[in-house]
Amino acid sequence: MVQLRPRASRAPASASAMVDEGQPASEEEAGHGLLLGQPSSGAAAEPLEEDEEGDDELDDEAPEELTFASAQAEAKEEERRVRETVRRDRALLKEKRKRREELFIEQKKRKLLPDTILEKLTTASQTSVKKSPGKLKEVNLQKKNEEREKGSDSKKAKEKVQKVQTVGQNKSYMAVRLKDQDLRDSRQEAAKAFIQNCLYGPGTNRTTVNKFLSLENKRLPMKKAAAQFLNNTWGSQRKQNAKRFTKRWMVRKMKTPKK
Amino acid sequence: MGEFNVHRVRFFNYVPSGIRCVAYNNQSNRLAVSRTDGTVEIYNLSANYFQEKFFPGHESRATEALCWAKGQRLFSAGLNGEIIEYDLQELTIKYAVDAFGGPIWSMAASPSGSQLLVGCEDGSVKLFQITPDRIQFERNFDRQKSRILSLSWHPAGTHVAAGCIDYISVFDAKSGSAIGKMLVDRQYMGVSKRKCIIWGVAFLSDGTVISVDSAGKVQIWDSATGTLVKNHLVSNADVQSIAVSDQEDSFVVGTAEGTVFHFQLVSVTSSSSEKQWVRTKPFQHHTHDVRAVAHSPTALISGGTDTHLVIRPLMEKVEVKNYDAALRKITFPHRRLVSCAKKKQLLLFQFAHHLELWRLGSTVATGKNGDTLPLSKNADHLLHLKTKGPENIICSSISPCGGWIACSTASRFFLYRLNYEHDNISLQRVSKMPVFLRSALQILFSEDSTKLFVASNQRSLHVIRLLEGGFKHLHTFQPQSGPVQSACLLAVSPDGAWLAASGAAAGVLVYSVRRLKLHCTVPAYNFPVTALGIAPNTNNLVIAHSDQQVFEYSIPDKQYTEWSRAVQKQGFHHLWLQRDTPITHISFHPKRPMHILLHDTYMFCLIDKSLPLPNDKTLLYNPLPPTNESDVIRRRTAHAFKISKKYKPLLFVDLLDEKTLVAVERPLDDIVAQLPPPIKKKKFGT
Repeated sequence: MVQLRPRASRAPASASAMVDEGQPASEEEAGHGLLLGQPSSGAAAEPLEEDEEGDDELDDEAPEELTFASAQAEAKEEERRVRETVRRDRALLKEKRKRREELFIEQKKRKLLPDTILEKLTTASQTSVKKSPGKLKEVNLQKKNEEREKGSDSKKAKEKVQKVQTVGQNKSYMAVRLKDQDLRDSRQEAAKAFIQNCLYGPGTNRTTVNKFLSLENKRLPMKKAAAQFLNNTWGSQRKQNAKRFTKRWMVRKMKTPKK
Repeated sequence: MGEFNVHRVRFFNYVPSGIRCVAYNNQSNRLAVSRTDGTVEIYNLSANYFQEKFFPGHESRATEALCWAKGQRLFSAGLNGEIIEYDLQELTIKYAVDAFGGPIWSMAASPSGSQLLVGCEDGSVKLFQITPDRIQFERNFDRQKSRILSLSWHPAGTHVAAGCIDYISVFDAKSGSAIGKMLVDRQYMGVSKRKCIIWGVAFLSDGTVISVDSAGKVQIWDSATGTLVKNHLVSNADVQSIAVSDQEDSFVVGTAEGTVFHFQLVSVTSSSSEKQWVRTKPFQHHTHDVRAVAHSPTALISGGTDTHLVIRPLMEKVEVKNYDAALRKITFPHRRLVSCAKKKQLLLFQFAHHLELWRLGSTVATGKNGDTLPLSKNADHLLHLKTKGPENIICSSISPCGGWIACSTASRFFLYRLNYEHDNISLQRVSKMPVFLRSALQILFSEDSTKLFVASNQRSLHVIRLLEGGFKHLHTFQPQSGPVQSACLLAVSPDGAWLAASGAAAGVLVYSVRRLKLHCTVPAYNFPVTALGIAPNTNNLVIAHSDQQVFEYSIPDKQYTEWSRAVQKQGFHHLWLQRDTPITHISFHPKRPMHILLHDTYMFCLIDKSLPLPNDKTLLYNPLPPTNESDVIRRRTAHAFKISKKYKPLLFVDLLDEKTLVAVERPLDDIVAQLPPPIKKKKFGT
């Protein structure tokens, strides 16, 4: 919508509005007044036409006088108005941003654990890191070497997780020594993946060693069990606990004298 | 002989790595084998298939191709993009040249032996010139669209066939341009989504190209016209390797199902001169993929993921039908991987990247012959020691008192001090190794654990005195001339006076430790030494060679003993000489000087020098005589070699004390259980 310059005929009305603008209290009113002062296209059209018609009739009359002072005052008022609008916009944006930040902080607070638990965690991790850096290193190396032997693809992910644990709460980055990284190229990785895919990937007809060796057992006249029938690694923790319990029980039994 | 309590140890979790490439050298009758962990082993096929040299592996070296070039030079190339030349005289790696083509998949030496061709990941085929000390890049051939997985030279050196994915290209060797392309069907008479990978090509002198691919086909092409001549469907799984004989009348292919097929050029009818390739013999000696085959003039050699190296002599090529024509299967190492600290009953196991220390269990029960005694205390895993770095461990040893452990990789030497307090064990590394002690081929501690003997790969022998908290270098015996043997074995006498070292071309050298100089040299024998041992009190040096001969040499007298001369005069029993596996350890009884305990993979033997020797007619493996027989018969049938085959396969047997033996076994099933998955076999009824 085009903001038409108020015509000279309306000058007194707008002048009073502009004078009012000087007072900050009446800012909004002035604003509204300005907005109201903005003629709609329909409304503008009519007075224009009227003016035009008026102009046609008053063609012979001399043009209106416009003193320099009034023009200057108009220009100044205009500048002030522009400044006021910019300031208002900025203030509005600031308020918006403030409100948003407060909202985010609140949300974050809701997400995190209560402060007491966090404190406990940080102190505990720091002391444990200080006490046994060597052990952790060994553990890391062990895990790394185990994973190398297994050759799993989740190797790097596991390593990252481990490093993060030692770094602490700073989960946004990870510091790794270049020496510790394996000497691998992405092309070499791709080549190994290709071979692995060709030989052991989908579409190849592979089976486990257990099934392979047990195939003959199935066809014997006396059918035998599979080559690796027992899973000796099952329940190792339970078995250890049971052993420890029996040891302790025996000791207790020996201690109490026979009645 | 005596009665012994035997500790049967089965917790040594030894798993060898699979064989990836095999290369046969005709002039020296040697076989180079490379494994998936980067180790390269050299077997001397004329010395009873003994592994005489090896280059330890490295984690980043994933070897994909191995070949011999002119003048006994060995090259290998792998997925790290480097071409490596091995120095067989010094037992080190001469140099590694980066081919700048990405991972290298295949390599072939020209028939003249002066050029080397490598096929890379990016589809380029690069030609290198072999100069006397290095290789020089010459030219790139036309670049192909997919990776070059196999290469083969025409015997005249004019053309080269390269197998890629879904097609084979033929290049002109002079200009490097691709002259022809032969498209391979993805499946035998069918359509398939999986790409056809050409695992092997072979170029014959009449222009035929033989290709093996992942669809299980062996195809014979005419390279001049680029057409398919004959198609053989050999298996349902991939056919992964091919090797052609020098006379070009037979070739061998290996499949992923473990079958090895022999093809021969046979005339169509008995009178016609037209010949065709016919599949003659299948051999099923492997359970897993056969990734490498080689064809020597008289035998087919195959190796694969199931870690066996199988050498099958061809009956029609063998002249004399004796034991040499039997199948040879090499599964277990030809070196000792276990050391024993006798006083503390500890065993040290050597793996590729770590060492394990175990304490043997104990029992308080007694029993009769053949009983299994229950353990009162189980075996304890005391220590798991990892070495830093990507290299494999070459050798390791533990001192007899159990206080020191030493191990060596190709570039570093580690020495650790152990302390035992009440069932706890603490380890301390001795830092600041001297500069000359870089890598060792063999490490040995003296019987009183005060001295350490190290045979380095610069052919010198170092004597180091061990002190509490450190060490002091005592002496270095000067390097010997001649090529270095990988099996550089050491033996020290129990009183600490003599040190014997094999590995020189002149024979076994005996040094006096007290006077720090060379004492004498045992005359050289044309077969390599597989085990050494010095007896207590008598200081007789017992030497076992790879052709199963055992000599006894008296060090103070500087001559062979009477017993040894008698044995050589009579000769060993023919069954003794026909044993497959070499003797890897010799030990002695502390109280009985007439006894020698030796073992190989399938038997252990107690030689009693006081008893008569067996001749060819007597039974060598006589079982324990029943007690109700009369003494006369027992005296008549008893002979010096008391052999027991009860525990097998054996990795180590030793006498712990007078009444105890320890036998470390490694059942084959336990190894097979840890191998990668094999191809599924469908059997009716399962």
